[in-house]
Amino acid sequence: MSDPRPQRSKDLPIYRILVIVPFPMAEEQLALRRAQAAKAGLPPGVELVFRPVRAAPANYSSAADSALAEIGIIAAGAQAGDDGFDAVCIDTMSDSGMAALRAMLPIPVVGPGRVSMLTAAMLGQRFTILMMWDRWRHLYTKTLAETGLGHRCASMRDIGMTPDNRQLLAGKEDAVFPRLLAAARAAVEEDGAEVILLGSTTMHQAHDYLAERLPVPVIDPGPLCYRTALTLLSLGLSHAPAAYPAPLAPLPGMFAAMAAAGRPK
Amino acid sequence: MPRILVIVPFALDADGVRRRQAQLSAVQLAPDSTFVFRPVKAGPSSFMSPHDFALMDVAIFEAGVTAEEDGFDAVCIDTMSDSGMAALRSVLDIPVVSPGRASMLFALTLGSKFSVLAQWDPALYRYRHAVREYGLSAQCASVRSFGIPPDFDALLGGKKETAFPKMLETCMACIEEDGAEVICLGSTTMHEAAAWLAERLPVPLINPGPLTYKLVETMLALGLTHSRAAYPRPVSPELGLLHAMMDGARAYADGSKA
Repeated sequence: MSDPRPQRSKDLPIYRILVIVPFPMAEEQLALRRAQAAKAGLPPGVELVFRPVRAAPANYSSAADSALAEIGIIAAGAQAGDDGFDAVCIDTMSDSGMAALRAMLPIPVVGPGRVSMLTAAMLGQRFTILMMWDRWRHLYTKTLAETGLGHRCASMRDIGMTPDNRQLLAGKEDAVFPRLLAAARAAVEEDGAEVILLGSTTMHQAHDYLAERLPVPVIDPGPLCYRTALTLLSLGLSHAPAAYPAPLAPLPGMFAAMAAAGRPK
Repeated sequence: MPRILVIVPFALDADGVRRRQAQLSAVQLAPDSTFVFRPVKAGPSSFMSPHDFALMDVAIFEAGVTAEEDGFDAVCIDTMSDSGMAALRSVLDIPVVSPGRASMLFALTLGSKFSVLAQWDPALYRYRHAVREYGLSAQCASVRSFGIPPDFDALLGGKKETAFPKMLETCMACIEEDGAEVICLGSTTMHEAAAWLAERLPVPLINPGPLTYKLVETMLALGLTHSRAAYPRPVSPELGLLHAMMDGARAYADGSKA
């Protein structure tokens, strides 16, 4: 008699995941972004391909920046299915471009903002978003409103330092890490945070330092985003078409033209 | 002598813009105010997907970004989607008024529950998304469509016989079955039906375009504008990038037409 239990496949699946990096950058800066992949502990056979956008605002400080940021990210991901990718991750907590790419692509498109807030809500009742500066507040406010999770957000706390979205925290560890820790401790003790979210994938270098010292879980959004893409692929799931309706008249060429016209000269 | 810029969210020709301008006749306005209608350079041809919203945000942002230097005292955005509003508010100090959030909140000054009348089913998603994002789900009785595809250029032109009775029937269902106490027209493109419907409905009807013109007058009269705390200025305004992107979009659109 044959064994009726389902058999595990001996061949590991091979997945290629596109990670869209939201600023144009040089190879050594891209390496600092790519360092997040190691933290995700992905199985062999899962390849992350980091691709920077062609055009972007200098930072994500306001609604004006958000509108422009969408275009570069959409242009970078619009052909992902044709390019042979199995999923797309967007390497920014703003989830910029995610909704449009979900409307254009059937493959999973994951942004770390929405996923990290929902994951935090699985791990505790209330979470705090830890930011470099308060200019990022509007990014989270938008996702909290869309997901209806506002009441689960204990606070947003910042350390009043301008982020560097290309060099990240490199060389500034001594100045930055203790301040992040102090802000996170205050969130736990004064605001009732049961989970801490790093407010940006650009803060990933501080994750180990904070996680070792804090009494609550600390979510590193980039690696969580990659793991989520893998989870979706493994379960055969993707976003709901009803939540992201496909355009009647898709214009991938217009996004490409806009990103090309806006690239740094 | 206030000058108000009205941004038309599609790249329409003069006739198309004139059909939008006709909204001015639906409301009594201060005699000395001037409303200048300006279409965007390029944009999506449909308007029901996040794909379309991303394009329209940037197109409207660019069409209004120079409003202060062009001598305008306020900006109206002629779309219920509120596309581009947040970006324009972040760079302009003059009032920027858009009818989506404004008409829902204004409806609540007149009644405790509102319904939104959508043109056709693909548009339902957009309103439901907006209602949720604005935190008004508990006050929204329903969003219903009357099932006729929109024409952003010709509007309801030539469809009065078919469209108006369907609109009325759908509004009545919102009132009788869903409990709507106020009806919001779901698009400024429906303005041609507003007077006809208002005469026949037992509840107030919000005609969103003309409402924004009056709201702008109110803001200017009271010296009010949006909160900088809610719409912080960009640290590095990327106006060159913005114009370059829209020039690229227009060149692409012109190339596709040719």
